Amino acid sequence: MPLLEIRNLSVEFATGQGRFRAVSGVDISVDAGEVLCVVGESGSGKSVSMLAVMGLIAYPGVVRADVMRFDGTDLLGLSDRARRKLIGRDIAMVFQEPMSSLNPCFPVGWQIGESLRTHHAVPRRQVRDRVIELLAQVGIPDPASRLRAFPHQLSGGMNQRVMIAMAISCNPRLLIADEPTTALDVTIQKQILDLLLDLQRERGMALALITHDMGVVAETARRVQVMYAGEMVEEAATEALFAAPRHPYTEALLAALPERAMGRARLPTIPGMVPGIADRPTGCLFNPRCAYADARCVAQAPPLDGPPGRRARCFYPRAPA
Amino acid sequence: MEGRDLRRHYAVGGGVLVARGVVKAVDGVSFSLAPGRTLAIVGESGCGKSTLARMAALMERPTAGELAIEGTATAAAIEPVRRRLRLNVQMVFQNPYGSLNPRRTVGATLTEPLAINGRGDGAARIAAARAMMDRVGLRQDRFDSYPHMFSGGQRQRIAIARALMLNPRVVVADEPVSALDVSIQAQVLNLMMDLQDELRLAYLFISHDLSVVRHIAHDVMVMYCGRPAEQAPKESLFANPRHPYTRALLAATPSVDAARRQATVAVRGELPSPLNPPSGCAFASRCPHATDICRAERPAFRPVDGHLVACHHAEAIG
Repeated sequence: MPLLEIRNLSVEFATGQGRFRAVSGVDISVDAGEVLCVVGESGSGKSVSMLAVMGLIAYPGVVRADVMRFDGTDLLGLSDRARRKLIGRDIAMVFQEPMSSLNPCFPVGWQIGESLRTHHAVPRRQVRDRVIELLAQVGIPDPASRLRAFPHQLSGGMNQRVMIAMAISCNPRLLIADEPTTALDVTIQKQILDLLLDLQRERGMALALITHDMGVVAETARRVQVMYAGEMVEEAATEALFAAPRHPYTEALLAALPERAMGRARLPTIPGMVPGIADRPTGCLFNPRCAYADARCVAQAPPLDGPPGRRARCFYPRAPA
Repeated sequence: MEGRDLRRHYAVGGGVLVARGVVKAVDGVSFSLAPGRTLAIVGESGCGKSTLARMAALMERPTAGELAIEGTATAAAIEPVRRRLRLNVQMVFQNPYGSLNPRRTVGATLTEPLAINGRGDGAARIAAARAMMDRVGLRQDRFDSYPHMFSGGQRQRIAIARALMLNPRVVVADEPVSALDVSIQAQVLNLMMDLQDELRLAYLFISHDLSVVRHIAHDVMVMYCGRPAEQAPKESLFANPRHPYTRALLAATPSVDAARRQATVAVRGELPSPLNPPSGCAFASRCPHATDICRAERPAFRPVDGHLVACHHAEAIG
């Protein structure tokens, strides 16, 4: 049984122009101790679907799903009180901007200790020692003296380490990291990714990594889910996805990477842009930008098709499953 | 455009009359940029690449050193001369959401540089702006639209169009695609390369993304803490990096290609404080090859095997 199992997740927001489905028909399953990447461009719904798991979608957002279970617990029917016991202890999250997700008014040691105190993870008198231990684990030099540091006194990379220390403080079984390295320089990005993967291996923790960077996907995950305009369009093992993408969007996205271009040749591009609230096309959401679309793609929305673990939302997949 | 030993220092802290410290944002950078070529400046935040861009765009005067545009010295030139030279150098900024005035239409944004410099009459300016919209791939019927009605990629096209209105010779692009999604990034890079071929533009392309640089640049300069670490033609720099920092950057860049991926350990530590830089090589504290000489003595920026490298051990590393 997967640790996290979500079937047919949808998230809707009421807007001035009617209801907007930010996420629809998304299935996510994460096994204990595995690394899953969710990849997509801005507006693809990757962050919103993970916020839904955390129960962080506020009114007027509405979360629906056929199944949304974490380790046997139904997340949908959970009372707020029960949810608060679970979130931060068994499921934790690291956000993109360490500078804006830490509270600037409190020292980082206190902020890390907060979740330990809330969840009674260790006796109160040991909180301080445990925080020092955590800071050491995430690679912060001289941790005892950093307890009293405020976020503005630390660099972006150090703050992200603090965020990670906070997230792993109660030994979560699932860590969701939403673009944890996007705001950081590349040498620091490498350090943070290595740290996350080390922690994941050491603790047998499951890691769900949200990113827009195909390079990060290739270097971290075993399994990938590709999102486009709020839908999951493809799922695959990492090597399979890069070797033979099935969905035309994935194919076009990989082709547009400067890294894959030869010399100074023109990069293949995807015409148009991700559809917004008002201009969702009929049928397949990718059809206006797709090189292979025909009348059927405009008339009908394709289902996710293929064997489990290698599905694609396309009538004409580019590679056999 | 030619820069020789450019320096830009800022006084920080202290009171009204006495500065407490000096940040050497750019400290001894030389380059030369020919028409139709792209020089990429690569480095992490705080390495001085944006300060260099501002100097190149004549927005700031260098503290020392010389910047020449088509042979005319600019560093000590009087303001009217700099203003005239500034027509040759235009800038494209990183964030197209912040660099366009939200209360001006595209048409107003594009005709403004012509109006300021007294080029043509109203009708000629509008015609020029419409022609430029065609050239950068924006529909002419969007002439009266406001920036919020465009997507990020389209806004960056507007920013590029604005930069080209005065027919500059050099475009200084400060991270022009790092705020854009991959599919949009490819469109903007293609546009920039097409325009370069058509107009023989020289680009000073500031970026932290090595895969983008690898695609668009002819020459690359890697900067670290305000100083050049390595400079070389693109192919040679990527194939055979000589400076340990260049190697660390290359190794840290995630790659989709398993063959290109290097199983290296991440370089440790973080950038030293610009207020209090180490006396020797600025990279010594993070460098796996560092020895005593690196901590004591600042390496000269010297030719090694077709590259310019600031490293005591460049020969041994290559």
